[in-house]
Amino acid sequence: MLNHLTRRMAVKLGVAALAAGATITGALAQDKPAPFDNPGDVKIALVRYLSTGDFFQAYLSGVERQAEALGVDLRVFDSRQDAALQADMVDQAIALGVDGIVVQHGLTESMTEAVQRAVDAGIKVVAFDVNVENDAVPQIEQSDQLLAQLALEQAIKDNGDSFTAGYVYVPGIAPLDRRDEKWREFKDKYPGINEVAQFGTLDNPIANSVANQASAVLRANPTINVMFAPYDEFAKGVKIAVDEAGLNNDIKIYSADVSSADIQAMREDASAWVATAATNPAVVGEVSVRALAMLLAGEEPGQSVIVPPTLITRDMLMDLDIQNMEQLSAKLPQFAHADVAVPAWMPLPER
Amino acid sequence: MRNFAIRYGFLLLLLAIIVFFTIMEPAFMSLRSMVFVFQSVSITAILALGVTATLVVGGFDLSIGSVAASSMMAASYAMVIWGAGSVEAVALCLALGLAVGFFNGVLVVYARVPDLLATLGTMFLLLGLQLIPTAGRSIAKGMMLPDGSTAEGSFDPGFLFLGRHRLYDILPVSVLIMLVLALVIWFFLEFTRWGRVMYAIGSNELASRLAGAPVNRYKIAAYMISGFCASIGGILLAARVGRGDVSSGNNLLLDSVAAALIGFAVLGAAKPNAFGTLVGAIFVGVLLQGMTMMNAPYYTQDFVKGAVLVIALVFTFSLTKAARN
Amino acid sequence: MAETSNNQASKDNVLDLKDVEKSFGSNRVLQGVNLSISAGEVVVLMGANGAGKSTLVKIIAGVHNADSGSLTLDGEPFMPATPADALRAGVCIVHQAINDCVAPDLSVAQNLLLDRLCNGETGLFFGRGRAAREARKIAGALDLELDMNKPVRELDLADRQLVGISRALAQNPKLLILDEPTSSLSQREAERLFGIIDRLRQSGVAILYISHRMSDIRRLADRIIALRDGRITGVFEKPLNYEAAVNAMLGHGMEVSKKIAVTRGAKIFDARDVVLKTGCEPFSFSLSGGEIVAITGLVGTGKSELAECLFGLRQPPAGTFLLDGKPYQPLNNRDAVGQGVFMAAKDRANSSMIPGFDISQNLTLPFLPDFTALGTVLRRKERNKAKEMIDWLGVVCQSDQDMLNALSGGNQQKVVIGRWLSKACRLLVLDEPFQGVDIRARGDIGNKLRETAGDRATLLMTAELDEALEVSDRILVMSNHTIVGEHRTDSVDMDLLLSQISGAVVSPNAAAGHFGKDGIQ
Repeated sequence: MLNHLTRRMAVKLGVAALAAGATITGALAQDKPAPFDNPGDVKIALVRYLSTGDFFQAYLSGVERQAEALGVDLRVFDSRQDAALQADMVDQAIALGVDGIVVQHGLTESMTEAVQRAVDAGIKVVAFDVNVENDAVPQIEQSDQLLAQLALEQAIKDNGDSFTAGYVYVPGIAPLDRRDEKWREFKDKYPGINEVAQFGTLDNPIANSVANQASAVLRANPTINVMFAPYDEFAKGVKIAVDEAGLNNDIKIYSADVSSADIQAMREDASAWVATAATNPAVVGEVSVRALAMLLAGEEPGQSVIVPPTLITRDMLMDLDIQNMEQLSAKLPQFAHADVAVPAWMPLPER
Repeated sequence: MRNFAIRYGFLLLLLAIIVFFTIMEPAFMSLRSMVFVFQSVSITAILALGVTATLVVGGFDLSIGSVAASSMMAASYAMVIWGAGSVEAVALCLALGLAVGFFNGVLVVYARVPDLLATLGTMFLLLGLQLIPTAGRSIAKGMMLPDGSTAEGSFDPGFLFLGRHRLYDILPVSVLIMLVLALVIWFFLEFTRWGRVMYAIGSNELASRLAGAPVNRYKIAAYMISGFCASIGGILLAARVGRGDVSSGNNLLLDSVAAALIGFAVLGAAKPNAFGTLVGAIFVGVLLQGMTMMNAPYYTQDFVKGAVLVIALVFTFSLTKAARN
Repeated sequence: MAETSNNQASKDNVLDLKDVEKSFGSNRVLQGVNLSISAGEVVVLMGANGAGKSTLVKIIAGVHNADSGSLTLDGEPFMPATPADALRAGVCIVHQAINDCVAPDLSVAQNLLLDRLCNGETGLFFGRGRAAREARKIAGALDLELDMNKPVRELDLADRQLVGISRALAQNPKLLILDEPTSSLSQREAERLFGIIDRLRQSGVAILYISHRMSDIRRLADRIIALRDGRITGVFEKPLNYEAAVNAMLGHGMEVSKKIAVTRGAKIFDARDVVLKTGCEPFSFSLSGGEIVAITGLVGTGKSELAECLFGLRQPPAGTFLLDGKPYQPLNNRDAVGQGVFMAAKDRANSSMIPGFDISQNLTLPFLPDFTALGTVLRRKERNKAKEMIDWLGVVCQSDQDMLNALSGGNQQKVVIGRWLSKACRLLVLDEPFQGVDIRARGDIGNKLRETAGDRATLLMTAELDEALEVSDRILVMSNHTIVGEHRTDSVDMDLLLSQISGAVVSPNAAAGHFGKDGIQ
């Protein structure tokens, strides 16, 4: 740590010496608060728990874009679903002398202490989708409750308040658990919703495994007319089973999350997948870095930073001729960016 | 009596389970339902047939799951990004599977790396390799490429046909491929001299070598069969899902190894065999489908798979051996 | 020394075995074995493979229990239930495989103290210093000058062996059993070991030394006990008659005059100036059609190496082979078979039998393409051939679909040899074909070899003299990786033969090193 500080001092001295001559860098940085007056010296780390899949790729790209816009040095640590490793990676980041850390997913049990060590070392931390039980750490949330609510409200709008439902759920996964809360709330509110089957699996490849389960469920419960699959991999699996059973005109699928592949699946002829609610994961990534930057600049982003979701229906995709995520961002501005954590000085990625 | 139990015990158990599910859930017993069971296990079974070939020569292939996953990515990449047709995509996948099998075989035979370690290494290699071309993204029509452009190609309808079409509106193509492959591998292992020599190598490698068998070539061939089957599995997976999903394929590996091992117990074979492998895969499929229909939670499914495997292994290693002695 | 032990034999006997019997299933491995060893005596136990040596040692060591008979140690009844029991009673064993006696990754000191460490006698904490001191005390008994902290894997074989022996001696044994201790030692290393054995003998340790290396036996033995087929076939006191001991171990006991092939066909195979092992004498021999030639010699004298050279499994360091007058240099065993040289390897369980296959599948394995059409095995053709072979060889079985495992040793061997008799060849090599084969099956196999000898040359490798005498027309004696003598089976000079086997006499022919060309006719 000490070593690192002295090195930074040396760099600063060097910059000061240069400032006497040409001060282009200094001039540009002047309107930003410290330490972003000299962003090249700011080092931040992204410590990830989940990484494979489109959502996480898009999240990473958002983080990268915002880090680039700020001009900071980003290090990515990827634990690939190894909770212990993720905690070790926080320690590695501390040893590396980073100024800020974004924790992306993980387990409360393994991360709480590691994050506390980082905070104790004077490092600013924000957490996305993992509760690290630390008041000094703002939570970035894509609000799973809101996601589920948007999708379910659309289901009620399409099918009335009584229908026979199948539900895809694997307990123990935080975002799915939060979406599940909303589902139970809706079932209480609308007694006409009759859940006849609950299934789900995270066996790789998820869509294929869920398709196998869903085809069994559809045969055992031919009366199902709504499938609530609040995770796009689930929805994909259900759609495969529905297509295979030839029931695509009888069943409607509501889900959460979106990707280019999901858009294509929703756009298929007579697709049963009619709506999904999603937050743009790239935007969440940008917001994560912006919230961290605010902390580093001594500003307060708030205890919880919520990125609002957008409802995307098949009709919208067809009417606006949206083929992929880029077009979705272009044609649905509410999806492309969120005006969250944007103080005046904050440089934004190009859009 | 004991011999009867060893020979037919497992098949009777399968029958009993089917009867049980039919009583509990009448929708279980129908032609359509059975076809779905077959479809749900078709990819696992195809991979398991490949593992069976390596088990026959006394080897093991841990890389099949990742070969399938890579083959899925390769097919998607070829069609979506290069705009290839279905024939080219399929050929690419099969070539990939054969090449990986050859690589495994060379590692085991010439580099003398123990089979489990060699194929474990290959598994990790492929897990990483499949992600490199797309920088970890799944492949779908209209995806954005790392250079910022949008992919022009799409899945060829002929390719999707493999995963989605039903012959006579009932029999999925993937099930047909599974049955044909099972028949071919069964015939190959049981009735051809190549299969015979493969069993000889698995039973006593030194004796086979001294009897004149080109052991190294056979072993490499076994791994190539395994890679070939795994790549077919990957093709069908891509055709069913309709996109190149990033996945490790580890569940495929575990399920197919389980199927091949359960196959030891079928008809008291006590050795790897293609028919047993197919029955083993179907056995697991029936159980999982039945349990899903009865709303059994997901975590009971792995437990049941484990239980079936343990019972099958006990069948194989204690009952059969005891009866022989 | 010998006198003392003889005089006080009854009183000083450290170990006494009386009428020890042991069977595994129907196989009677030891029958009425009586044996005694007194303090300060080196008793050499000689026996061919399968004679029952290792079973005997295991009974003394507590690994097996005798079925009947009694053991006494120092006059007390001795019934060790486990190896640890035997060790506590003062019986120490140094096994043939050195690495069974030492833990390669541990240091010399830790190895020397291993027994104590395992017994928990050392307490929970055991410092390096104390360990080294204690270990040095143990090593002192043998003047072992080694770095106590060096890992054993960095020592050479002799030092490892010595560490193993020191460890055994640390237990203050009454009886030390050494199982072929010199098999992996050089001459100099062995000499060091012999010096130690001499000192142990002087200090009153009873030593049972198992070996069939004649040089060891000449150097050490106070008494020789020959074991054959589970019986003691000879006890030799000083002055020791080594030829008689070898004779008792190999026990030919057959009438020497017998008929041999009168007509010899054309010369088929020539080995010229072959060196089997670098540094050993070159030798030459030739084989003719229709004759059966046995190469005999003690275990480890190079018979299997020669067989492997003939079958293309290894290359001799020097020399040439000629098959039908043309140079014969097989690249591998497939090439050898292609050129008409077949071999049934020794140790059928490991190198010939396919345990998962039935008799018919085992029989057809090398020539499977003969039973296939378009790659498919013609099961009926295969089974017919198998049935024919089973009848012809007299294999006792229920059907051709019996698993080979289920047959007796003799019947297994018939199948394994039948494999190579099912097709004509130029040279048939049989390495120890009668191992674990009962006498009747042996006769059957011998007859079939004779019946099919035709214009093929047949070469038989065997360590058992009576097998060679029974089956062959001509015997070549191998010793120290070279051929040292030749005999016609109908006129064997038994004394000369035995002394050649035991390595005492170098036959006049051996100087020239050429056999079977024009030597004996």
